[in-house]
Amino acid sequence: MVNPALFQNSLGLSCRYILTPFLKLLLLFFLLRGQSYADDELSQITARLVKTPITQGDFHQQKHLKVLRKPLISTGSFTYHQSKGVIWKTLTPVVSLLLVNESKLLTGQGEQAVPVAFGKVFKAMLGGDLSALSDGFSVIGTDQKTSWQLALTPKDELLKLIISTMQLSGDTELRRLEIRETGGNVTTISFDNIIHPTQLTAEQEADFERLSP
Amino acid sequence: MNVYHPKLSAGIWLLGMIIIGILGSQALTKDWLETGFLALLPANEQQPEVAKAIRQHNELINRKVIWLTGAASSTQAIAQAQKLKRQLEQSKLFSKVVLEFPQQQYIRQYQQLFPYRYQLLDAQSQVILSTRPEELIRQNLEMLNSPIGQMQAANLERDPSLLFGRYFNAQHPIKLNLEQGIVVLADRQQFWALLLTDLQDERLQLDKLETLLQLVNNAAGQVKATGGELLVSGMALFTAHGAQSAKQEISTVGAGSSLGIIVLLLLTFRSLRPLLLSMLALASGLIAALVLSILCFDKIHILTLVFGASLMGVAIDYALHFFCDSFDAKAWFPLQGLRFIMPGISLGLLTTLLSYAGLGLSPFPGLQQVAVFSASGLIVAWLTVVLLFPLLLTGFNPKHRPILLKATAYWQRHWPVWLFSHNRWLGLAAGVLVLGGLWRLTPQDDVRLLQSPPVELMHTADKIRQLFPMTPESQFFLVSGHDQADWFQNEQRLIKRLEALKQQKTLSYYQGLSQYWPDRNTQQQNYLLLKHKLIDSGLLERYMTDLGFDREAVKAELKQFAEAERKTLTLPEWLANADESKQQLWLGCDEGRCQSTVALIGISDVSALAAVRNLPGVIWVDQVEQLSSLFARYRIRASGLLLIAFCLALAGLGFKFGWRNGASIMSVPVVALAVSLAMLGWFSQLFSLFNLFALLLVLGIGVDYGLFFFIAGDRRDSTSLGVMLSALTTLLAFGLLATSSTEIVHAFGFTVAAGIVTALICAPLVGFRGDKNQHDKQ
Repeated sequence: MVNPALFQNSLGLSCRYILTPFLKLLLLFFLLRGQSYADDELSQITARLVKTPITQGDFHQQKHLKVLRKPLISTGSFTYHQSKGVIWKTLTPVVSLLLVNESKLLTGQGEQAVPVAFGKVFKAMLGGDLSALSDGFSVIGTDQKTSWQLALTPKDELLKLIISTMQLSGDTELRRLEIRETGGNVTTISFDNIIHPTQLTAEQEADFERLSP
Repeated sequence: MNVYHPKLSAGIWLLGMIIIGILGSQALTKDWLETGFLALLPANEQQPEVAKAIRQHNELINRKVIWLTGAASSTQAIAQAQKLKRQLEQSKLFSKVVLEFPQQQYIRQYQQLFPYRYQLLDAQSQVILSTRPEELIRQNLEMLNSPIGQMQAANLERDPSLLFGRYFNAQHPIKLNLEQGIVVLADRQQFWALLLTDLQDERLQLDKLETLLQLVNNAAGQVKATGGELLVSGMALFTAHGAQSAKQEISTVGAGSSLGIIVLLLLTFRSLRPLLLSMLALASGLIAALVLSILCFDKIHILTLVFGASLMGVAIDYALHFFCDSFDAKAWFPLQGLRFIMPGISLGLLTTLLSYAGLGLSPFPGLQQVAVFSASGLIVAWLTVVLLFPLLLTGFNPKHRPILLKATAYWQRHWPVWLFSHNRWLGLAAGVLVLGGLWRLTPQDDVRLLQSPPVELMHTADKIRQLFPMTPESQFFLVSGHDQADWFQNEQRLIKRLEALKQQKTLSYYQGLSQYWPDRNTQQQNYLLLKHKLIDSGLLERYMTDLGFDREAVKAELKQFAEAERKTLTLPEWLANADESKQQLWLGCDEGRCQSTVALIGISDVSALAAVRNLPGVIWVDQVEQLSSLFARYRIRASGLLLIAFCLALAGLGFKFGWRNGASIMSVPVVALAVSLAMLGWFSQLFSLFNLFALLLVLGIGVDYGLFFFIAGDRRDSTSLGVMLSALTTLLAFGLLATSSTEIVHAFGFTVAAGIVTALICAPLVGFRGDKNQHDKQ
């Protein structure tokens, strides 16, 4: 097995690109909903999504690690804002906050590097250049009456070493996300109570404020 | 003089030059040019360990060239960088071109360090463990549950406490992002792919520097053609631009001044001979000076070469004075001319030698070298004039009266009269001018003022620093201890101070070995800390069980911990797989002393760092500051020597001609020097060590002018032509440098120009006796 920790470059910089497939995906997904495009399944699915600038809801995350007999379970809430980024607030088992936009990533451990790809996708999507999605992943979609599914396989060699597939599914919203790692670990996140407020709360505004330079 | 045989003396000269040539052919083949500034320090001031550290640090910095290819997408940026990489490899200029970052080294590092994981803790984990071990568990849970926690989760099996992951991550304080194994940086507009190169040689030859510049320009053009942008920075580029602009300027100025001198001498003498002979005298002097200085000092500094050669400019006086004498006799014979000019040029040489000798008394090796260089050069040039010219000037007897001679003859007769008749207000004006200028004169020794890199280059360097804040500054700390343990403690104390300064944003990063490698004691302490806080307290067991580890996994981890008790990771082992930038921090142990440097990145307040004192074994090394203070000390020293030079010259002339006459001759260089300094003040010019060398040249030439006029007797007309020609050629050769945009060159030229013009204005006053001159020629 290849250890992800080994992917460090000689400048002494840890490689965050491979560490955040999930976040990237999440953002990708939210960005998708802002687009309307033609024939393929990707576009049909996109067309079904509710399109608003703000999305918020609760999440329930299960990480099945090979070494552990039971899954790591965490719950909390998330907020996405079209231009401001994402607030990922974990409430159980420990309270922690993760804030991210295209140029900044803040966690309980302080500021961290933001993957370039992250900002790239963010921008490409906002700019309407959806080919960026299929640049990074091979996408297979199935669109059924009530629900849809997307299976993404990374193209990037480095990413391939870590992630085997990622599955997204939902209806008018993204409901479930599954990441299968090559090492056998599986992360599943389900999203509930999704709403689309027209305005951010003061607390959310304050959180996003921390991201502004 | 009747024993003087031109052919014999020319033979002696030839023999001498052959000997110098033979000596030179041996001396010049070895490495004789010194460029490091430490060589300019008096021997007792050079600390060898500091010198070694500076050398090592500079080598690390000076070889680096950073390239960033920018494009609208990271894919494009990477493609550009890949293309650029191939070009750079083909150029053969670089010993290393790094685009894809080698994963293998990291795998090796990880594997090598992993067995010592219970001995290795990063500073933050140490604090958390000793104060609130439960916080570590909480942070682990936060990381494992975080959407960016894939790496930690994947490592959980081998590193349940995640402490080794924390240590390994802390080895690399700056986090950047990789795409296709390439570092990609982003700003608001563009994506940048990073390419790092090391030049083959720290000190590139001039032609290689040009190749580098060409490479940069071509690559920038190519990237631009595809709509991208290329940023390149490195010490070598600054050097290359400096060398290029200096070369361009000197060759423009040089071409202009050579042309001027050729035209001037041809018009005056209507013969090629004076021109060729002057050049011969100067060239022989220069070659001899070079060879003799190398024989004397083994190695000479590049500044010696520059200033020594400049000071030799005085030698042109001897040749010109000789030629001009020919206008004063109907039938002129070289030997007869020599007889007449001999006292003048010999005394001129002696006073100049006396004044330059002062430099040799200084403990500063640079000044000693300049003294030997210029003195030996002047002597040989003088010998060339005296020994060789009589033979080679045989038959030289210009019959024409050049316009310049008529003009200078008129000038030397009427100018002093006019000056004397207006001496009251002229004296007052001169006094105000000089005193006012001197009042405004302020020395500037900061070396940064001496460089004037192109603005674009500075912008690029700033932009790269913003995108990629990894380039160490020229300042650093040198840490030593009598053994490894002592060194480690000293460095740790420094690092504590630096951490506090980092919190205050005085600097962005610092890098010291002891941050990454704990010494034997610390490794044991780390192990004991883990034992007390995690193992004996049962915390690790509880955490692992709660997380869902098997009973076996918990047991295995405890067993591995127990078995690792006696392990120690030695520094050489750690260094073996460390990054190059960290390996270079270690200077090694010898003769009861261990040393390292602590590199600094992104300093915003140098003085706050320089104020980190009173730490045992820690030395603050600021080369810029050191060089500036070295220049300041040289300036003060050279000022004193200049004063001594004046006194010596005055004493020599006073001894020969009496004090009154000596003072009268010396008044020419004194006034020239005062006016030159005053001009520097009025025009707010750079006043540093470099101007003093210009002033020494002014002194040497000023004495000559005064002296020539003093002993001219009834040959004042031809003397005035000689002085005028000398002044014009000196102005053309050195004064034109005042047009340079390079500060040092400009300051040198400006000082010489002001001094020479003043000396020229004053010189005809010496030995002037109004009516006696009236019945001369014309």
